[in-house]
Amino acid sequence: MNIRTMASVFAATSVLAFSMPAFADTDLKIFVSSQHQPDVWRKVLDKYEAANPGVKVAIETGGNTSEAQAQYLNTVMSAKDTNLDVLMLDVIRPAQYAAAGWTSAFENKDMSVYLPAYAGANTVDGKVVALPAFADAMFLYYRKDLLEKYGIAPPKTWEELAAAAKKVAEGEKNPDLQGLSFQGKAIEGAVCTFLLPYWSQGKNLVENGKLTFDHDAAVTALKLWKDFVDTGVAKKNIAEVATDDTRKEFQAGSAVFAVNWSYAWTHFQGAESAVTGKVGVTRLPALGGGEQASCLGGWEWGVSAYSTHQDEAKKLVEYLSSEDVSVFMAANGSLLPTYAAAYGNNEVLKAVPWFADALQVVETAKPRPVTPRYNEVSEVIRTTVNAVLAGVTTPEDGASQIEARLKRILR
Amino acid sequence: MTTTSILNAASNADRGPPAWTRWLDLGDRALGVVLLAPAAILLALIIVYPVLRLGYTSFFSLSLTSGLPAEFVGLENYSLMLEDPVFWETTWNTVLITLITVPGALLVGLALALLANLPFGVQWPVRLSLLIPWALPLSFAGLIFAWFFHSEYGVVNDVLVRLGFEGIIWFNSPNWAFAAICLTIVWKTSSFMALIILAGLQTIPRSLYEAADVDGAGRVRQFFEITLPLLKPSIVVALIFRTITALQTFDIPYMMTGGGPGTSTSTLAMYIHQNTVSFLDLGYGSALAVVMFALSMCVTAVYLRAIRTKE
Amino acid sequence: MSAVAAPGLSGLLSGRPLRFLAGAVLIVNGMFPALWILFTSLKTEAELTAKPITWVPHAPTLANYMQAFSDQPLHLFLFNSFMVALLSTCLTLLVSVLAAYALARLDLRYRGLILSLIIAVSTFPLVTLLVPLFEIMRTLNLLNTWVALVLPYTVLSLPVCTLMLVSFFEGIPRDLENAAMIDGCTRLGALFKVVVPLCAPGVFTAGILAFVNAWDEFLLALSFNSNPALRTLPVGIQLYQGEFAFPWPVISAALVVGIVPVAVLIVIFQERVVSGLTAGGIKG
Repeated sequence: MNIRTMASVFAATSVLAFSMPAFADTDLKIFVSSQHQPDVWRKVLDKYEAANPGVKVAIETGGNTSEAQAQYLNTVMSAKDTNLDVLMLDVIRPAQYAAAGWTSAFENKDMSVYLPAYAGANTVDGKVVALPAFADAMFLYYRKDLLEKYGIAPPKTWEELAAAAKKVAEGEKNPDLQGLSFQGKAIEGAVCTFLLPYWSQGKNLVENGKLTFDHDAAVTALKLWKDFVDTGVAKKNIAEVATDDTRKEFQAGSAVFAVNWSYAWTHFQGAESAVTGKVGVTRLPALGGGEQASCLGGWEWGVSAYSTHQDEAKKLVEYLSSEDVSVFMAANGSLLPTYAAAYGNNEVLKAVPWFADALQVVETAKPRPVTPRYNEVSEVIRTTVNAVLAGVTTPEDGASQIEARLKRILR
Repeated sequence: MTTTSILNAASNADRGPPAWTRWLDLGDRALGVVLLAPAAILLALIIVYPVLRLGYTSFFSLSLTSGLPAEFVGLENYSLMLEDPVFWETTWNTVLITLITVPGALLVGLALALLANLPFGVQWPVRLSLLIPWALPLSFAGLIFAWFFHSEYGVVNDVLVRLGFEGIIWFNSPNWAFAAICLTIVWKTSSFMALIILAGLQTIPRSLYEAADVDGAGRVRQFFEITLPLLKPSIVVALIFRTITALQTFDIPYMMTGGGPGTSTSTLAMYIHQNTVSFLDLGYGSALAVVMFALSMCVTAVYLRAIRTKE
Repeated sequence: MSAVAAPGLSGLLSGRPLRFLAGAVLIVNGMFPALWILFTSLKTEAELTAKPITWVPHAPTLANYMQAFSDQPLHLFLFNSFMVALLSTCLTLLVSVLAAYALARLDLRYRGLILSLIIAVSTFPLVTLLVPLFEIMRTLNLLNTWVALVLPYTVLSLPVCTLMLVSFFEGIPRDLENAAMIDGCTRLGALFKVVVPLCAPGVFTAGILAFVNAWDEFLLALSFNSNPALRTLPVGIQLYQGEFAFPWPVISAALVVGIVPVAVLIVIFQERVVSGLTAGGIKG
């Protein structure tokens, strides 16, 4: 092999490498996770392109978990990349993105058309920084058949749930049947695990950007879940359980109750499910005499501050978060709408009848703390919840740890 | 002639280019510059410039979520670091991982190499089983072993139970989770060590052992007096790179435990990544990166000095 | 390759059955995870979480492989990974051959220092350089090209390859080059026509090292090449994972497809790799 041949081969491949075609000639580029039905969004975008000649919209799909996407977007936006015009953001991100100057604000936007929780989640310092794409919340799934068998009504409090689980366990005598499955792994969902009973006691974690921590309420919240593990209602290695593990186990018939997001329903009624037709869904229970709380999920549309097409991008986002699109996505993609009226829409109910029951849950769901430093807050809460459930930290110590660390972050 | 002799900067070969060097009539010096230029340019672009940027940023308070512009704060990031319990914990975890997995990989690698050196009829299955762990991407190895150590569906507990022990909930306990991570790292890296050691083993001439036999030395003594000393140079080079990589441990704990429970299995590289990419605290993240770099440089210097004094 | 020596063990463990045992230990240790992924890729989702856990699939199915190729453009990931790895291997070899030659042959004042520097810069983890590197690539307009990855990957393997090649080159007597140059070769010509071919095992080893390093890298590939047409394998495999779902069987199938090329390369070159590490490589 002589140097001339090597050099020419290298040169040829280099030319190829440099001349990889840029992504198709487009005006706007939106960033969507490939798990959130980009093919259905494509149809919506085609309609938009037809109605707006001269505008082409391309979809770029990114990492599939909220975490992977955030990693990618954080890198790209830190370097002020102008490639993306519109971003689909997890509901917990707008505050951070707005503070970092990565999103453009929407002027004079009336947020009252949406479900109230989304107005709160997308408004930072009085400015609207993102518009809702679709909604989500946490539900209590339960085995209708088992509850009927033992004559138990769907529980409204956690205490009732524990009693129900015990009764079913004693009756079924199946060691593989869990009472309750929830998320104990140190994932984002574990933040909800902590907040559900905390909110149920009428407490908020953050008000107007300031920390309002109630130590006793936090201890009670952590204790609730730890007690489930200690009394056998939840399995011992619950600290290993992530969202989809809960879904899989309930789907296989191994749990009486499950805490999970809306995506699980379709799986439970699917062909591979062992519990088709046996599943009921309702609001998550309350703690003692408190309120029934749920955790708000869903995704939002933001306009990149570095986009070179600010006006067109904003127009596109307004379209994408309109009621018509919301109804379309609900009927065709099973994504929960962000408009209350859509839950009664015939088209929607024909495709996903259970959405009628879902409204009461989504309406009363609360957003996680809206603060630019949410990532750090989330890290503190979820690692502590995980440690408490693993038995490494006591609920009291866990609450103190959360308090101390949050105080440093949310000064 | 060894790599180490270069590091002693000994002028052990003939000096000066032969009289008939016709390539542009360059002397050694100029030719050296030209030959080293590509490497230098690449390193400058990819490493030196970003590192300098990082060092520069570490003197500023720059957190993208604060919405405030960068503010010069001198050494404040570093003093914050000293008071940060998570910094100390992750650094300690990193050091511990290094202290456990480097000798661990060496011992296991040595054992594997000795086994692999037996006269097998067919060589390639043995070689393949040494090379596959090394070729498996780190992130995949982390994922796979996370599943292996799952308390319910994992293979490890299955084997333990079949052997009559109780299953362990690996990721419920800081110590067991740490053990799982170290085991995975040792498994992954011992195969490369084994390869290097095997190569070394196969160059030791038989005659040395035969002579030792004649002198009446036992197998064990032969091992310690012939095998090990002759393996030393290969082992040292492998150790340098293994140690540096150990200090940078990221993928495996990231995939297996995400640092949990709590922060008990989080490493310095993970903490840097978290601060930079997730918390967007670029100033603090840069300062942490500089400290990690300094740590690695110190370790490298120690190794290089150890090599020099040996020769 | 020199004759197999007989240190340590083979005196204690002579005989067929013990050699068999040793072989079994080695193969299980090295291949177990790979085999496990293979088995998982043939299982169904339900079988994975059945208790007690099954090792060998009861009803093997190739459906996961079909799904692996249909869910994501796996062939595209393979192609991109292959090209990036190939290009960076070539570049690494070129640069390290030149650098190693300079360090091995030329009388340079700061030889030791330069080599130490090359090792030292490899102590900086690429993970921490993510953001500055992204900015550089963006400024140079290299995002979403193969080059954006080839350059960092070359730097990744440069220190190890250079070190290895330096010791190889030192093992070649100068007379051979001198003879070539008397015959009318230039210095570089002698390097490529005489020295490199003689060091083929070392070059192969360095090449495989560089290739595997490039094939396995994840973080930079994720950040620099977001264009779906340019994704590499490790990034692509992450895409099978959903927000909540982790389809192990399909992912395992994709993993198998991802490991096979490297394994094949290894089997083909393993003879050269080990002899490369043997003959003059890193020895005493």
